[in-house]
Amino acid sequence: MLELRDLAKHYQTAGEETVRAVDGVSMSVAPGEMVALYGPSGSGKTTLLLMVAALLAPTSGKVLVGGRDISSLSEREASHFRLREMGFVRQNFDLLPGVTAIDNAVLKLLKGTPWKEAHRRVQPLLERLGLADRLNHRSETLSMGERQRVMIARALSTEPKLLLADEPTGSLDTQRGREVLELLTELCRERGVAILLVSHDPQAAGYADRVLALRDGRLSSYDPAQGFAPAEAQ
Amino acid sequence: MLHLYRVRLRARALQECFAIVGIAAGVGLLFASQIASNSLSSSVGQLNSGIVGNAQLQLTARDAHGMPASLIGRVRALSGVRVAAPMLEVPANVVGPAGAESIELVGADSSLSRLGGALVKKVALTPFAGVEAVVLPVPVANRLGAYEFGTTLTLQALGHTSEAALYERLTQRKIGPLISSPVAIGSLEYVQQASGLGGKVSRILVQAAPGRTAEVRAALQRLAAGRLGVESSDYDERLFAKAAAATNQSTQLFAVISALVGFLFAFNAMLLTVPQRRRLIADLRRDGYTPPAVIAVLMFDALVLGAIACALGLVLGDELSIHLFHSNPGYLSSAFAVGSELVVTWQSIAISVIGGMGAASVAVLSPLRDILSRDPLAAIATRQGTGGGVSRLATLAGLACLGATLAILLAAPQEAIVGMVTLIGALLALLALPLAWTVAAVRRLAPAIVSAVPHIAVMELRSGRSRAIAIAATGAIAVFGSVAIGGAHSDLLKGLDNASADMNAATDVWVSAAGSSNLLMTAPFAPTAQAKLNALPGVREARIYRGGLLDYEDRRIWVIAPPTNASPLIPPSQLIEGSYSSATVHLREGGWAVVSLALAEEHKLKVGSLFTVPAPTATTLRVAAVSTNIGWAPGAIVMNADDYAKAWGSSDASAYQVLSKPGVSPDRLAGEVRAALGPGSALAVQTARAHEDTLRSITRQGLTRLSQIATLILVAAVMAMAAAMGAMIWQRRPRLAKLKLEGFPHRELWHTIVLESLMLLGVGCFSGALFGLFGQQLLDRALNIVINYPVVSSVGVVVALSSLALVTASAVLMVAIPGWFAASVPANLALQDE
Repeated sequence: MLELRDLAKHYQTAGEETVRAVDGVSMSVAPGEMVALYGPSGSGKTTLLLMVAALLAPTSGKVLVGGRDISSLSEREASHFRLREMGFVRQNFDLLPGVTAIDNAVLKLLKGTPWKEAHRRVQPLLERLGLADRLNHRSETLSMGERQRVMIARALSTEPKLLLADEPTGSLDTQRGREVLELLTELCRERGVAILLVSHDPQAAGYADRVLALRDGRLSSYDPAQGFAPAEAQ
Repeated sequence: MLHLYRVRLRARALQECFAIVGIAAGVGLLFASQIASNSLSSSVGQLNSGIVGNAQLQLTARDAHGMPASLIGRVRALSGVRVAAPMLEVPANVVGPAGAESIELVGADSSLSRLGGALVKKVALTPFAGVEAVVLPVPVANRLGAYEFGTTLTLQALGHTSEAALYERLTQRKIGPLISSPVAIGSLEYVQQASGLGGKVSRILVQAAPGRTAEVRAALQRLAAGRLGVESSDYDERLFAKAAAATNQSTQLFAVISALVGFLFAFNAMLLTVPQRRRLIADLRRDGYTPPAVIAVLMFDALVLGAIACALGLVLGDELSIHLFHSNPGYLSSAFAVGSELVVTWQSIAISVIGGMGAASVAVLSPLRDILSRDPLAAIATRQGTGGGVSRLATLAGLACLGATLAILLAAPQEAIVGMVTLIGALLALLALPLAWTVAAVRRLAPAIVSAVPHIAVMELRSGRSRAIAIAATGAIAVFGSVAIGGAHSDLLKGLDNASADMNAATDVWVSAAGSSNLLMTAPFAPTAQAKLNALPGVREARIYRGGLLDYEDRRIWVIAPPTNASPLIPPSQLIEGSYSSATVHLREGGWAVVSLALAEEHKLKVGSLFTVPAPTATTLRVAAVSTNIGWAPGAIVMNADDYAKAWGSSDASAYQVLSKPGVSPDRLAGEVRAALGPGSALAVQTARAHEDTLRSITRQGLTRLSQIATLILVAAVMAMAAAMGAMIWQRRPRLAKLKLEGFPHRELWHTIVLESLMLLGVGCFSGALFGLFGQQLLDRALNIVINYPVVSSVGVVVALSSLALVTASAVLMVAIPGWFAASVPANLALQDE
């Protein structure tokens, strides 16, 4: 579903020095597969995510989603790609305050879908995420775990092929984090959604099909016991 | 504290600058309207005190013909009189090399300077006693083109023309703020000769020995014997206060509205810095600062912001008052010597500074509940129910205010200002309701629209309610002020236009004493030209019209005395009580008069009642009808010209009404009359149409200030709303970035911003317009019932719709630009903020 081919992003600093934020990364994520990507701060994770989300053009290489190269999309096409083919779940819960859980969840779907239809489609998803009795509660009355689940519902509401999860458990305690990861993997496997998960949380590894590490813009194999080791991953 | 402020300032300089600009604009608006409100009254007061100095009492003549100068000796002889100074004041027209100017010609002798008035204490009157010369303040002299000693000036006073040399140009250093007063000072003898009032004076100013004022007053009253007035020396100021009441009340009302708009402007601006301050509060509390210490830190912020902003605001307000709010005495200059200087009082400065500091403090301390909370992080905690319903308390308060306004409208229109304040209170308290209804309506309609735009707009509005209401309130108040005052202004003009049309319907051409201050035709002159005018080929008849200003208790009344055969004799559209036809018959018979409502009410007069006119010869007349004030705020009396001549003991005319023969146009007739009077005449000739146009234009001039202030408030409100909305949208860029990350394109986000602004501003402005129409009715009723203006009441729907459309459209347009740029935020900002 997602394939990165020799992807690179280089920046020129003021002192004419070249910073290789992402340097020749090649990897793939199959439908229904979850790949966890680990890396310390400054390793190039965010730059990689921006390129996968069609928010940043790579210096070289390709980002293929469903076989289509998204690295050279126009702004309009890139917006459409993010809206319809990609979901994004982040550590911060980007919910609108004062607005109910279901209204927050249908936000992406409202573009091009009638409101009633959008509600009809999102409600089972929210129920599946355990929010059946919280549909009409305002976002600020929801717990952290519930908020993250609303974000997952929003991300999956357009039935995307690819889900990017950026530290999805970063603001949750261990128990809630586990619940969220379980739901996320379950739902994505059921729907054949490829997940690229970026996290520092070791417990996420337990849910991932593969774990990769990113350091200084290059992929490494990851062994929790031995740390990072340079190796080209597939 | 200073260190903490400086450190934080580096990180938020832009927001603080915006807040300073916001408060400064508010303070400027408030200060300028205060100056406008005070300037006219202060100008009259300054001129009066500049003349009367330390005098406590005055003996005044009852009409423009004055009283015998021989009385001065008898006044000086009274026990307890320390100084008695005679004066002769006549309205005059001065013609110089570069133009003409209406002024108050003041004749005095050296005894006046002993009273210490600023206008004359440094002007040596002795050296030119008996000399045909005058002194002029520099601005008047400049306008006349009189720059040098000895420049010849022509003076036209009470139908007499004379020449005088310029003796001195009075500089600001010599007479201070009186520099802008429209006066010319000459020796008593010269002014008597120039006005044809030889041996007469108009007032004798009296300074009593300490503790003997009451005794001197009693002695003066015995001397006056009811034929002259005995008043305190500030009598002119009191008369002016009554005459300018309507203008002053309207200006006060504008000052209140300006203050509110200014406050909201400042408050909106300060709200920009609230998120940073909330973080600061949380940081300080976490670091162990106690609530009082946090309040002290925030108050220091308010002090710095408020002080800088107030200083800027005062400068801005001063500039506004010079360039936009320039006082225009308009029709009041017909009866009072009103200068055009701007008078800045310490009270105006204090009110403006208190307003600015108040706005800064209220906004800085808006998270007070969080400061005092036991939870140190309360200020940054997510609040529950921020998008909740409308406060029941606010609704009840709003309804109570609305009820109070209705009660004032029906039962106490004289309290119109209070009514306007309660109406504004109702508008602000109830504004959340239409906003909630609109959001609910759009929310209900949105499902039918296949677009995320209305949904996101509704969600955004529901998530930031306090800011939304503050912005909507700014627009609401501006449109309210514009509609209420604009509507009443327009109704008043319609009524005044009717009055001036009635006054000019009885003649084709007017001939009266020259000078723009003789607009009401109150300056008397000897009617020596009547026979000459009647002999002109185009003249059907030249009639003698009489009229004057009469000080009746604390009112300077306009007395209108048309010739008995004039038609109409009384202005037909101005009657409130009584029959027009029988009143006309009675007035023609003589012994009857039409009185304006305020006078009738003050003296409990009904149609048929008897009352005594305090003319030089007290005369009892019967009330034939009750009228409006015929456009003169203190009130009016209409009688026939013969009754006037008897009561005033003079056959002088105030004007000729010249009627044309069939087929002779008014312009041709005016030409004939002008030629007959000759080029050196002190009389001015004007067609009735031209005089009506002059009256209309002067009436409008007097009310121009209101239109200017209304426009400025609208402009300020548009800017306040656009700035607040723009800033609110700019602050929302991270959230817009998140929506972009979700896949919402730039154009859709921009549409969301525009729709949200349209809803917010539309609701605010529509509510303002609706309440404004209510306010218009309140003001119309107050002008009609209390001041008796001839108001033609209407519902100013056109004014309301145009203000509503103008403010909403301009603010939305102004918001659309920052909105476009804000929506251009790169989506990756959503990832970089962590």
